[in-house]
Amino acid sequence: MNTIIQCQGVSQAFGSKKVLQQLDFTLQQGEVAALIGPNGAGKTTLFSILCGYLKPNSGTVLLFGHKPGSAALFGKVAALPQDAQFDPAFSIGEQLDFYGRLQGLSSKAARAETERVLALVGLSEQRQHKAGALSHGMRKRAAIAQAFIGAPQLILLDEPTAGLDPVNALQIRQLISRLSAEVSFVISSHNIFELEQLCNKVLYLEQGRLKTETNSNADSQQQYLTLQLEQDDSAAVTQALSTLPGVVSIEAVQQKTLLLCYQAQQNADFDLAVLQCLAANGWRYRNLTKGKTLEQKLFSSV
Amino acid sequence: MANPLSTIQQCRLYAGFELQRLWLTRRGLMTLAATAVIWFFLLRYAIAPASDLISADGFQQFFRDVFGSGGLTQLFAWPAPELAVYWVLSLLILPTFCLFFTANQLCSDLERGTLRFLALRSSRSSIVLGRFAGQMLVQGSLILLTLAATLSLAAWREGGISLAMLTAAIVIAVNLLLVLLPFTALMSCFSAMVRSARLAVSLAIVSLGLVFALLSWFIFYFPDYLFLMGYLPGTQVLQLIQLQGWITLQHALLPLAQTAVLLTAATLLLKRRML
Repeated sequence: MNTIIQCQGVSQAFGSKKVLQQLDFTLQQGEVAALIGPNGAGKTTLFSILCGYLKPNSGTVLLFGHKPGSAALFGKVAALPQDAQFDPAFSIGEQLDFYGRLQGLSSKAARAETERVLALVGLSEQRQHKAGALSHGMRKRAAIAQAFIGAPQLILLDEPTAGLDPVNALQIRQLISRLSAEVSFVISSHNIFELEQLCNKVLYLEQGRLKTETNSNADSQQQYLTLQLEQDDSAAVTQALSTLPGVVSIEAVQQKTLLLCYQAQQNADFDLAVLQCLAANGWRYRNLTKGKTLEQKLFSSV
Repeated sequence: MANPLSTIQQCRLYAGFELQRLWLTRRGLMTLAATAVIWFFLLRYAIAPASDLISADGFQQFFRDVFGSGGLTQLFAWPAPELAVYWVLSLLILPTFCLFFTANQLCSDLERGTLRFLALRSSRSSIVLGRFAGQMLVQGSLILLTLAATLSLAAWREGGISLAMLTAAIVIAVNLLLVLLPFTALMSCFSAMVRSARLAVSLAIVSLGLVFALLSWFIFYFPDYLFLMGYLPGTQVLQLIQLQGWITLQHALLPLAQTAVLLTAATLLLKRRML
């Protein structure tokens, strides 16, 4: 696999405040990474470093083998920077055309590309409008559209669905999901359920340090199922499921929600056995998810 | 298919976009309207009456008696008195206008974060040089427009335009652009430092005033260093007023060198700062 992002010993401080401390991680081609962390954890600073907006105090950052901001990355790396706004003097279409031209497209190709990316975010009708005439959500979608101009191989998205209505947020998630087969993404968001749907790698930042770097596809002998019941029969269900072969532990993580840990080698069809057990006892379930939820992975010890 | 662009190609795009900002946006058209109004008053109430005065033989003789046959009397050598008055007025006024007019090369984009979109597609050098080139193009357009108006005034008075008048107009345009180069580059520096055009103008005025004051104080104690005054932007203006024709280009090297230094500084400033 090709390494797209390589960070080694990256540290950044503003005055006496250490914002990032000795970050080490890599992103491989095809991976969609979630950048998670509480406010002030250093997510936006890391984004700024990856985009080339900020040079780290120490450490090495390479994107496709080049330093962020290098000419070799123009058009190859795209981003939705936090709070970046369009120029209010020009229409959205004029500005996207211009960005396309800067990426080396001809005038005609740039116009066609503008049409395409505006259609991707459902803003085809807004081409002639200036940024000031658009709603906050529309401006956000236009900013997302600029990240899709050309054929970027890595897209960095800082809070892509923050401030969007549910329908448009869903549309953006679907767009990212559809493109993730060809493009690598790094997505920063506080919406953990969104990241769970989109990402196969998690970078959890806390106080400037990388606390967790997990890959959801990682093979493990112990596997998990998250079972959400219709009614609160947790005690009886736990007792019944405990008898199934391969069970390691059953934990009630929330009301009506059980986290089942099992040995996959002992019982490859454990999920089927769980469903059969529920059916045999007449217990109805709302949801059965393979693996732990991202929330459980990150915060179960909190 | 996208082909990576060179710095020069990107600068050309930026410069073209700035020209579009002047001619195709509401703010640009307001700038044009304001320029037209200012120059209407200058033409109507300064250039036209002064031209009548200069063209009077009695005044020319009086001027020569007072100032001698060299120096400012070169103003009479311009093929049209309107051009002579335009020459003096522009040389004295435009550098100050330039500080205000070109202050927003990067500030607003820094403040809004628009530069973050641009920096993903072009180098910071291209942004600085392209915006600078754009500002020069815009100022060039305005100079050509006002020169055309002055030439029209001269043509109306004299009943036609001669080749000498056209050549003189080209000399004036080239020289004015040369004079404005270091001032525009100076504003590239200040607009790369701060996030507000107003602050950039204030910084420029304070810095120029401070440098002038410190240099004056230094020269008072060390008169041998008087030549340093000649390196300040715009110091060649007073010498230019006394010249006429292509000989004026003998003062071109200094503004070109100042511009190169200031643009290098502006590029370094933008490269070093966080976007």
